[in-house]
Amino acid sequence: MKRMNILKALLASTSIVAAADSAMAQDWGSFDGVTIEAKLIGGEQYEGLYARIAEWEAATGATVDIISKKSHFEIDKEIKSDMAAGTTDWCVGSNHSSFAPQYEGLYVDLNDLVPAEVIAEFVPGIIGASTVGGELLMLPRAQFDVSVLYYLKSNYEDAEQAAAFEAEYGYPLTVPDTWEQVKDQAMFFADPPNFYGTQYAGKDEAIVGRFYEMVVAEGGNYLDEDNRPIFNSDAGQRALQWFVDLYEAGAVPAGTTSYVWDDLGQGFASGTVALNLDWPGWAGFFNDPEASQAAGNVGVAVQPMGSVTRTGWSGHHGFSVTNDCENKDAAASLVMFLTSEESQLAESAGGSLPTRTAVWEANIAAAEAGDDPFRAEALAAFAAGAEYAFAVPAIPEWGESTNLVFPELQAAIVGDKTVEEALNDAAEAVDELMRESGYY
Amino acid sequence: MLRRRFPEWFVLLLPAIIVIAAVVLIPLIFSLYSSFTPYKLTRPSTLWTWVGTYNYEKILTDAKFWAAFGRTVLFLTIVLNLELVLGLGIALLMNKVTWGQRTLRTILMFPMMFSPILVGFQFKFIFNDNIGLVNNALQSMGFNVALPWLVDGKLAMFSIIFAEVWMSTSVFAILILAGLFAMPRDPLEAAKVDGCTPWQSFRHITLPFLMPFIFIAMTIRSLDVARAYDIVQIMTGGGPARRTELLWTLMSRTGYVDARMGLANAMGYVSILLSIVFTIYFFHKLSAARAQIGMGG
Repeated sequence: MKRMNILKALLASTSIVAAADSAMAQDWGSFDGVTIEAKLIGGEQYEGLYARIAEWEAATGATVDIISKKSHFEIDKEIKSDMAAGTTDWCVGSNHSSFAPQYEGLYVDLNDLVPAEVIAEFVPGIIGASTVGGELLMLPRAQFDVSVLYYLKSNYEDAEQAAAFEAEYGYPLTVPDTWEQVKDQAMFFADPPNFYGTQYAGKDEAIVGRFYEMVVAEGGNYLDEDNRPIFNSDAGQRALQWFVDLYEAGAVPAGTTSYVWDDLGQGFASGTVALNLDWPGWAGFFNDPEASQAAGNVGVAVQPMGSVTRTGWSGHHGFSVTNDCENKDAAASLVMFLTSEESQLAESAGGSLPTRTAVWEANIAAAEAGDDPFRAEALAAFAAGAEYAFAVPAIPEWGESTNLVFPELQAAIVGDKTVEEALNDAAEAVDELMRESGYY
Repeated sequence: MLRRRFPEWFVLLLPAIIVIAAVVLIPLIFSLYSSFTPYKLTRPSTLWTWVGTYNYEKILTDAKFWAAFGRTVLFLTIVLNLELVLGLGIALLMNKVTWGQRTLRTILMFPMMFSPILVGFQFKFIFNDNIGLVNNALQSMGFNVALPWLVDGKLAMFSIIFAEVWMSTSVFAILILAGLFAMPRDPLEAAKVDGCTPWQSFRHITLPFLMPFIFIAMTIRSLDVARAYDIVQIMTGGGPARRTELLWTLMSRTGYVDARMGLANAMGYVSILLSIVFTIYFFHKLSAARAQIGMGG
């Protein structure tokens, strides 16, 4: 296994060297003596890309000073404080499609700084999700997120178990294709406190995003065209009932309402969860024998369907240039470099999903030609899953609305309120927020 | 020409007055002003829009705010009383120790030395329903359960109270111990000669003498606990379903995550009432306790 890791490392470093060569070849402009201050998202899966910044510095003569490197939630608070204090003369900031609409007036429209042919090389839907009010606020990096279904393969290889399931539920035990099947199987597999059928994010924006995509899968929506809340519809109630039923049946860990992404990832990696809707960034971790007890037993399938369509809440990371930046051309050059084809090839070699069409194609071709069937299976699932991807409403109030909604969703899940009461209370609060914000 | 001279005391105090004005008074006035605006961090221009008492009206009619207010009062009451009882017990036991007392006193202060954030993470792990120490201990003792410590309404409140009490009981213990050290021995010896039981000596001599120390500890801790944030934020984030939402978790979410600093500041000013009421109450009791043991009003 170690040999495999070394091989992977060698391949990765080879691709980085190859990418670096072409970086030198491409003209990133000349910005001698310019210093670009940047606030970037930190974390293991994001850091690899920053090692390439030295190449851009060598090619342009400019220097990059990373003045802040934190999680996105921390960066978000810092940026809001900067906006309040008027200290926004740094140049490049990490951004995210869910956060971008909040920073009104902070970032430039990159349509003015980036050539149209460069923008055309990205997946059009992702450029659309990076555009707010007609302004392209960020260029996407190779960190596109849409969730797919991870499952433990061994649960589908036991004939006795399959027969017992079919006898109880009346259809064969196969990898679930609908959320109803996920619910049945989760309840069937669950053996708390030792083993759970599934799990879900239980607080903050995370649970609202999960609920939102279920509402869409059931044929409803979160807001209407005027940004009025409509998630308390029948579709919304069916969506929330799914979470409630699983919780009541003990098919999810009792603490799931306090879980967010790390807890969920660690939970599935502990091998005690049968089915797990999760982000692409975890694929490598789940199948790494040194990090995960589920390694070698992990299957990846396209995300299941609701009664109308598949779920597909998505988001992506990117880089933006501030309006107060002194040298916007240099900053835009850095952003183009960090999101270039070479950068995306290098970054997506770590398992994350690219946002450029050519890099998608290259990755799928490489996986098919390679000897890693898990990677090929995962990429095929992500490619299928990306077709159903949709971003959250591009309004500044999205984040604030999730803070109003998530305690109500929790209240229904833990049994403090009925599904209808909880959703009506949440809709009332969001309605007040939208009115205050002047949407209607 | 008459040249006005400032009095000497004023000139000497001026540097301190300037510093205090810069770091306390101006921010205080600024935050009070912003509580009358719809100030959003992401829209700095909103700072200049005057909305009068809109934020205060919104808060006064907001059931969620008052639920958090009531929960904070409950949390404060339980935590202060538990810390008092445990702190008093520890101090009385410690006072009996004749060998190694200094080392024990140092060990006693260990929990106070941790950052509240660390304490929060420590207890979040201990009370985790799946991989936590408590549930694992229960399971290895044969109980096949996974108690949702940080989810169930009562257990979650218990868990954050436990963490808060674990960290700060020693404040009470140390202050009460100082009171015990300062206590004259004569009344206790006289009581012994007169045939008082140990309980009578404690109830009528030791306890009245300790009351001023207890009320000082109560005042200090009531201000601390009313601002409880770090431990709660890390362990439960005020959830689930607002079951552990306290004033400061609500305020910080409103101010920093939702960026509605004007509203958050208004919440802050309403919640100051809580601290003022508790402080006045404890100072009143302190004066009474001092008068009772002849230390003046």
